Amino acid sequence: MRNPALWFAALLISAVLCLTARAQTNEPSPQPAERPGGNVSATQQQSPDVTDTSTPSDQAGEKKFLKESEGSGDKGRTHLRLGTVWLGASYSHYSGPYYYPYGPYGFYPGDWVYGSLWYPIWSPYYPPGHFDFNDGRGEIRLTADPKVAEVYIDGAYAGTADRLKSMWLDPGAYDLTVSAADRASFHQRVYVLSGKSLKITAKLNVDSSSKEKL
Amino acid sequence: MSGKIAFAAVLMLCVGSLAGTGPNGTVPRTAVDRYLIHAMRDGVGIGIVLLSPEKARKEFVSDVNRCCVVAEIALYPAKDKGLDVSLNDFVLRVRNPEASAKPASAKVVAARLQKNAASDRDITVSPTVGVGYESAGYDPVTGTRTGGGVTRSAGVMVGIGGGPNPASTDKDRAVMETELSEKGLPEGVTSAPVSGYVYFPVARKKNAHLELQYKLNGSTVVISLP
Repeated sequence: MRNPALWFAALLISAVLCLTARAQTNEPSPQPAERPGGNVSATQQQSPDVTDTSTPSDQAGEKKFLKESEGSGDKGRTHLRLGTVWLGASYSHYSGPYYYPYGPYGFYPGDWVYGSLWYPIWSPYYPPGHFDFNDGRGEIRLTADPKVAEVYIDGAYAGTADRLKSMWLDPGAYDLTVSAADRASFHQRVYVLSGKSLKITAKLNVDSSSKEKL
Repeated sequence: MSGKIAFAAVLMLCVGSLAGTGPNGTVPRTAVDRYLIHAMRDGVGIGIVLLSPEKARKEFVSDVNRCCVVAEIALYPAKDKGLDVSLNDFVLRVRNPEASAKPASAKVVAARLQKNAASDRDITVSPTVGVGYESAGYDPVTGTRTGGGVTRSAGVMVGIGGGPNPASTDKDRAVMETELSEKGLPEGVTSAPVSGYVYFPVARKKNAHLELQYKLNGSTVVISLP
């Protein structure tokens, strides 16, 4: 496709598709009137902020646009995603009077150089850092203060929070505990679903009893 | 003596296992009037919070908005009296259009959510852009001499389908059931205030008027939900 007009047309089509999906996502969903003065219970305050990332290709700058319809009952939804944007560069040089059908399939004595950073359409290989979408696990994105707080999953030590910013776990219910010296521990029951991402912020307040000791 | 210890151990084990599997619900507020929507009948208090879709999305990992209207219900038994809490005593009525539903169990809701998730379709759009340089030489296909120069290429890949959808496996269903069950309103006789989420399998309609009916001692308490 050497024609620049076609080149831009293809980009324009993909941009329009993605913007359409985004616009539909931003539509306000019907909801009952919010009641003022609501007192949030203790469990509600500790509830996790759930985000559905669904695709693990964040490393590749992948974005997801979700088209959803509230109250759609049992109807399936269509998820429109912007996949990885592939950028390639190549250099090719042909020499010698060898031509089809002899050239490409037989011995090729000429200096023929071909380089490409990536050929997504033809290549059967995945780019570095790629892993299969929804490999049956769910993600916990943990942010803790202090960062060196110790993380326990179901009572077992898992590491420090600064090294566990992203944890991929099998679907299940886990008891997450984050603790640090002289700080009140953070406990939360977390539910991990495959292909979903759970964002948890654990801010450990200074333990008042330890203050008194000082 | 050892028999008594063994009996106590078995009893503790039974109680522990029951506590682990049963619904824990949420923490009820200090008094029923702390709920904006509340009612009293025969000394029994009932407080309700209807969860908006956004709130439900934050409260649950499971996508409960896809099948249900979720309400947090708190029950305060009369002083020195027990209250038999049963999900069958609740009915959510929707006016205009008319519909009503009893609460669905965690098992049913989880199965429905799994089915919904499995029926989703994935469409991935991936633009590709390439820039290359071709030096002068002979084209190996046609045998003609090429002028060389900069080449540009662009395209769009559209992928449909792929792997299993998020939250659509049997394991996910079990997890969703656990979550919904653990956060659900505990059933049974209680003398202390209890609260938890109740899942009504009705579609959320815009501007629909909702009404909660609660059967208590043979009469029905009707609470209008704004």
